[in-house]
This record gives sequence, C-alpha cells and structure tokens, in this order.
Amino acid sequence: MNRTTDWRQIFGLREAGVYYALLILLALLAAIAQSHGLPNYLSAQNLGNIAYQASLVGIMGVAMTVMLITGAFDLSVASVAALAAAVLIGLAPGIGFPLAALAAITTAIGIGIVNGVIVQFVGINAFIVTLGTLTAVRGLVLVLTDGRSLMVERPEVLQQMLAFESTRVPLFWPLLAIAAALLVLAALKRRPLPGLGGVVIAALALLAGRGFAVAAPVVYLALFTAIVWAVLRFTVVGRRVYAVGGNAEAARLSGISVHAYKIGAFILSSAAAGFAGVLFGCRLGAINPTALQGAELTVIAAAILGGTSLLGGAGSVVKTVVGALLLFTLTNGFNVLNLGASYQGLIEGIVVIAAAAIYTVGGKRGARKAAA
Amino acid sequence: MVTPLLSLTGVEKVWPNGTVALRGVDLTVQAGRVHGLLGANGAGKSTLIKILAGAIPPTGGAVSWRGEPVRWTNPRSARGAGVATIYQHIPLVPTLSVAENMLLEQRRGWRGDRAGRARAAAVARMLGDPFDLDAIVGDLPIGTRQMVAIAQGLMSDPALLIMDEPTASLAGHEREQVYGTIRRLTDEGRAVLFVSHFLDEIVALTDEVTVLRDGRAVLHAETATLDEAAIAAAIAGRSVAALERAESERRTGAPLLELRDLASPGKLAPASFAVAKGEIVGVAGMLGAGRSELLHAIFGADPAAEGLVSLGGDPVGRTPPEAVAAGIALVPEDRAAQGFVPGMTIAENLALPRTGTLIARAAEDAAARAAIDRLAIKAPGPDALVSELSGGNAQKVVIAKWLTPETRVLLLDEPTAGIDIGARTDILRLIRALADDGLAVVLVSSEFEELIAVADRILVMRDGAVVAEVDPAAIDEAGLIQLASGTHTDTGIAA
Repeated sequence: MNRTTDWRQIFGLREAGVYYALLILLALLAAIAQSHGLPNYLSAQNLGNIAYQASLVGIMGVAMTVMLITGAFDLSVASVAALAAAVLIGLAPGIGFPLAALAAITTAIGIGIVNGVIVQFVGINAFIVTLGTLTAVRGLVLVLTDGRSLMVERPEVLQQMLAFESTRVPLFWPLLAIAAALLVLAALKRRPLPGLGGVVIAALALLAGRGFAVAAPVVYLALFTAIVWAVLRFTVVGRRVYAVGGNAEAARLSGISVHAYKIGAFILSSAAAGFAGVLFGCRLGAINPTALQGAELTVIAAAILGGTSLLGGAGSVVKTVVGALLLFTLTNGFNVLNLGASYQGLIEGIVVIAAAAIYTVGGKRGARKAAA
Repeated sequence: MVTPLLSLTGVEKVWPNGTVALRGVDLTVQAGRVHGLLGANGAGKSTLIKILAGAIPPTGGAVSWRGEPVRWTNPRSARGAGVATIYQHIPLVPTLSVAENMLLEQRRGWRGDRAGRARAAAVARMLGDPFDLDAIVGDLPIGTRQMVAIAQGLMSDPALLIMDEPTASLAGHEREQVYGTIRRLTDEGRAVLFVSHFLDEIVALTDEVTVLRDGRAVLHAETATLDEAAIAAAIAGRSVAALERAESERRTGAPLLELRDLASPGKLAPASFAVAKGEIVGVAGMLGAGRSELLHAIFGADPAAEGLVSLGGDPVGRTPPEAVAAGIALVPEDRAAQGFVPGMTIAENLALPRTGTLIARAAEDAAARAAIDRLAIKAPGPDALVSELSGGNAQKVVIAKWLTPETRVLLLDEPTAGIDIGARTDILRLIRALADDGLAVVLVSSEFEELIAVADRILVMRDGAVVAEVDPAAIDEAGLIQLASGTHTDTGIAA
C-alpha cells in the first residue's frame, strides 16, 4: 500500500470540523462551569450522561445517514419510534417484554417497507411520502393509546424493561482493550490514524477511572455505529450504498439493484427508529401520545452537523453521532449551567446553519483545489 | 480592409490555480460570415466562448468590437454590445412556455406584456415558426428546444451569434433546420461563430475556420481551401492514422448472444438476431431510431421489454444484475449521467460491478493501475476522481469497468461521442482488440464511418425497428445515411 495519508485533508475544517466544534463547546462549558463554581463539567459521569441523552437520536441518526447517502429522506422516524413504543407498552403486559419488543420493531419495519415501496415503485418524492407517514403514524399512535398515556403495570415486566434500558455497563477494561487493538492494528498496517485513535481512547479511559460505566443505550449506539461504519467502509454493500446515492443510473447500469438498496435504507431507518422507540418505552415504562414529537428534525440536524449531504452519495455515520453529541451537549450545557433555556433553540439553529455553511464553502474550495 | 466585427489579439486565460487555458489566441470574425471554431476537448474552445460571452474575463490580450477595444465584465454587457451565446447544454426553464423563455431577459413590465409577445412572435416568424409560442418547453423535443434557444439568443438582436455544438444532440432533419437558420442569419449581415465536432458540417456550412489546440489558434483559413483531412490533422496535431478496415477476414466463432423477438411496447419493434463470439455488430440509425432502447432491452434495463435474450443457449434474466452475472456489459450513452459515479475514484468506479462481501483495496488499486496502463488513461493515479478527467479518459474508465474475465458480451452506446480524435482512435482500436479476444460486441454509433471501419456487420434501425442488415465492405457513409433516414432525397447536410 503506497496510499499516502493527506493530513491536511483529514484534519481540515471540512473533514474534522464537527470534532473541533464538540471539543470547543466542551472546553467552553467547562470554563463557564469552573468560573461559576459549579462541579467539574467534564466529569466522566456528566459526559456519560450526555452520551446517554444523545443515544436515541444517535441510533436514528446513524440509520438516517445511510438513508441520506442513498439520496432519500425519512421524516417519519420520530412517529415510527413513538408507534414502536406504544406497541411495546401495549403488548408487554400480555406477552412479555422480548416478544413485545420484537412486535414493536416488526411494526416499525412494516412502516419502512410501506415508505420504501411507495417512494420507489410509485415514484413519489420521499419528502412527501414520509411527511405523510409522519402524520399518519402519529395519528395511529393516538388511536392505539386512545389519546392517553399508557403504562406497564406488571412489576416483573417493568423490571425486565428497566434492566434492558438502564443497566450500567462498566467500560474501563473494554475501552482499554479497544485501544490496545487499535494500537496493534496501527503497528501491523503501519497506518498512523488507528494508533492515534487508540492513544486517545486509552487516555480517556484512564482519565475516567476504573469505575467508569455508562447506561446500556450508549453501548447499543456504539455497537450499531461500529457495525454500520464497518459495512459502509469495508464491504461491497457499503460502496454500493454510496454509488446508489452518487449516481443512481450509473449504479443501475452497473448491475446494482437500486430498488433493493433504496428500500433497504427505508427499512434500516424504520428498524432503527423502532429500536429507539423500544428504548424510549423501556426508559419510562410508559408512553404518552405526543412522545418524541419533533425528534425527526433533531435526527436530521445531527446528520447535517456531521457533514452528510442532502444530495446523496456522501456522509459518515461516526460524524453523525458526533453531531448528535454536539446537539445534546448544547442542551445539557444550558440545563446544567442554567443559562436561560429560552436561548436554546436559537443557538441550536444557528449552529446547524453555520455547520452547513462551513461544509458548503469548504466543499467548494476543496473542489476547486482538486480541479487544479 | 473592412474593420472586422470582432477581433481578438493574443487573448490569454490563466486560471487562479495556474492552469493555462488560452496561450494567446488571435481570432477575427467578419459580419455576414459563418466562422467555424474547432478543437479537441480541452483545447480551450469553451474558455474562449465564455470570454466572448462576458462570463469570465481574459487575463491577457485585447478584444475589440467593431474596431473599439472593449472589456466585457459580465454576460449582460456582452449581450448589450450585440453578442448572443447559445451554450451546448441549453439553459431553458422547462416549466415555462416558449414565449416566456424567450422573454427571460426582459427586465420590467408584466408577464402577459403584448409588446414582448409581439417581439417574440417576430423572431419566431424570422426562424420560420418552428414552434408554438405557448408550448411548454419541457414538452418539446430536443431539436425544437435548440430552436427555442436560438430564438432566445436572437431576442436581443445580436450582431454576433455564438453557437456551441448546436447540432450535437440533433437528428438529421433537425440539423437541417439549424443550418437553414444560420444561413438566413448571415444573409441578414449577422456573424455566426459556430463550434462543432462534426467536420462534415464545418466544411459544408462555414466560410472560414479557426482551429484551437492547447490554447493556441493553430490554423486559420478560408474553408474553401481546406478539406476534412486537413482540419482533422490540425485538430489532432499529427496526421490522423485513419482507421481502416482490417485487411484480413476476421474469424468469428459460434453464435453467443441471441435475441428472439425482443421488443418494448412503443419503443422497440420485435428484433431477432445473433452475435457471434469475436464479432462486432454495428447498429446504425438516426437519433430516436431506438438504438439505445435496443441495448437497454438486451441488458434488462428496460422493465417493459419482452422477448428472449440468451447467451450461449442459456436464457438471461431480465434485470441488469442478472445480465451482469451472465456476462453482459453495457457502456451507456451519457457518460456523466449514466456511466460513472462522480464522487468516486477511478478504482472505486472500476470496482462497481464487483460482487462479493469485503472490499479488496489492494486488488482494486492494482486492477485500476492495470486499466490505466492498458487503456492509456491520462490520470494521476487510481485515486483520481473520475469527474476530474476529460471526456475521453472518463469514457475509457467506463469501458474499463467491464474489462473483467466474466464479461462475454459488450454493448457500447455511442462510445466515442464528444471525444477528441486521438482518444476516439484509441477506443476504436480497443474495441477491435476486445473482439479479437473473443468478446461479442454490439456497437451503436452516430459516426457511420466508425461503424464502417470496425463492424463486421451493420444493422440499420429506423423508428424502433431493425430495417436492414448490410455488409460494411459493400456500403459507404452516404449509403448508410440514406438507409437510416429512409429517403433518398434527405441526404444529411448537402447544402
């Protein structure tokens, strides 16, 4: 391999901007906390807490990124998650938690198939179709819950659900193991980037201490992200996902089944939303009919912060997760530091637009340089 | 000597990144004449046109208009002076009517303005009323859209009309319409700067010719003193090794690809023929004769197609994945829209048809390097983006995508369209070499001399049906044009 590593590109604003933004924000909040005499903002517990709050949006965001890479769009995820939660809460007392969770995710996948088939075979724009399912599925949630909050009242089922969602997973040793694996990989392949990652992870683990543990959803998010990242990065399926979004006709005429990939993205998006809905239902052991309303926009904002193009053919799931962390760090910062929650929406909106501006302007400059 | 309408002396253009597009071009355009501008891809034609249109400023040299030095800084100032430019990719608004498109430049007033409409109607009358002013542009065939673009250019009553490849996407009778219009405009004393890849129409239509190569004007002469070979030599910069028919009788093997009653409702009449191993079957026809539709039906890319395609006796499934699995490959007509994924590298594009689970980076890089060497693709390396390559090199990548041991049938749709002569000869040689290696090839081309040069057999299509089969050794270009256009009077561009 004589592929050269272009450090200036890897650490440029366009490629790594979202990481810088997150680091700067954390540093800023830590400094403000310090000066107000509040407890250490960068404590392992608070950071784990941010990751926990971001986990549901992160899981949906990873699938949404795949969706955006194929060149489509899914507005219905938050409604689908609420539907999955309603199905879970409704069925769990009767058939137990595992079967109810399965039913919830299957229901979500059903909605994904409906979305995908209508978009691909009827040919209606994904924006319109999923705007329709957003409304219709929310309506279905209202019908199922009869407009009231539902609760799981059998204690042993509730116990199972809480265990699935709230167990704390110790991470000190696993993190060290991952760091060691990355360092070994870097040494074997003579590639510096994994080594750098290994060092950063090891340092974080040592800083957080041996008792470091996070809630289960953070681990689910990490695993899901890792799997989707690896599929996109290392497999032929991953390359075909990018090809379908980059030029659908060229992909089709190269023998790629474009319909299968596009519908597959809808199914993945809805399945992830279903899983997020199950986690949401487990968290509260209850569901109210307006749960998660508007979350689809946060999910899309996370993907955009991560630099995913709405035009398809480009995007990174890891950066989407960082984008989600950035948004929830903002929220968390406003709450913890009591900085006037009324400014929150304003700041978040400006951050999203500023990020998109950096990507667009940076992208143009990059393209011009490449043309030389 | 009469003051020329437009004259350029030593015009240069250096892009901010240091790329030199024009290295000092001299050009004079006289009123009432058609001036042909030619050059290979990348020779600087587009840059020169943009400078004349005021879209980009030159970095050196002088432009004078009616004897006065001028410096146009934006398209409106050039149009105001009397230069109208019609770009190759027609910039019309498809959802508006013809009249509204013609009046796009109007800057004040109401949409339904009677005076504006009267002016549009007058221009349309001058062109011989080729379209309905109230038709929606998106509904019009491409040839008529080209006429609308010309009409739009004429609304500002220009003294000089610049046309960039106006006939590239037009069929025979539509081209005839454009030629007639150009003659009428020059009769009125207007000048036309006519950019084209087609040597025959340059010879038939223009009064004088300028050839650009590597940012310089290398030839300027009265057309009457030139022939196609001289122009082609100036474009290529070396005498073109004319591609002649292979001397020896080519040996072809047993029938490999067989079609039985392959048809697509409304697009393709039932077609039945076979292509042998090692054989090149040419498909001739005018634009819209159903040539691409035939290839797409064979490839399974047309879901409405019916009939049977078999390969070595085994029927092939009717979807692209099944066709690829069986060994059928399609190089589509529109490179950029159908052939490659712009954001991907050469290596990634070449690997698109590969199946399997994991990506083998090293093997794919090696394959890309091998393809770059074998096809003489001009690119920095396997990591170059295909969107940064010139047309000819991008086309080589699209063809190379299919040069795998699995491919047994190669369907080529206009593989040399929009490509300079050097790369064109490379590609035709490659096609022949591939057939010699045992591929069955179906070659669609609008360049009939190419078909005559490389094909073993030519099928002629008209209105979606295969209407004749001819031996290329026994026919010339004019004969093929006659067969393809279906009349003995309509012989292309004889003026």
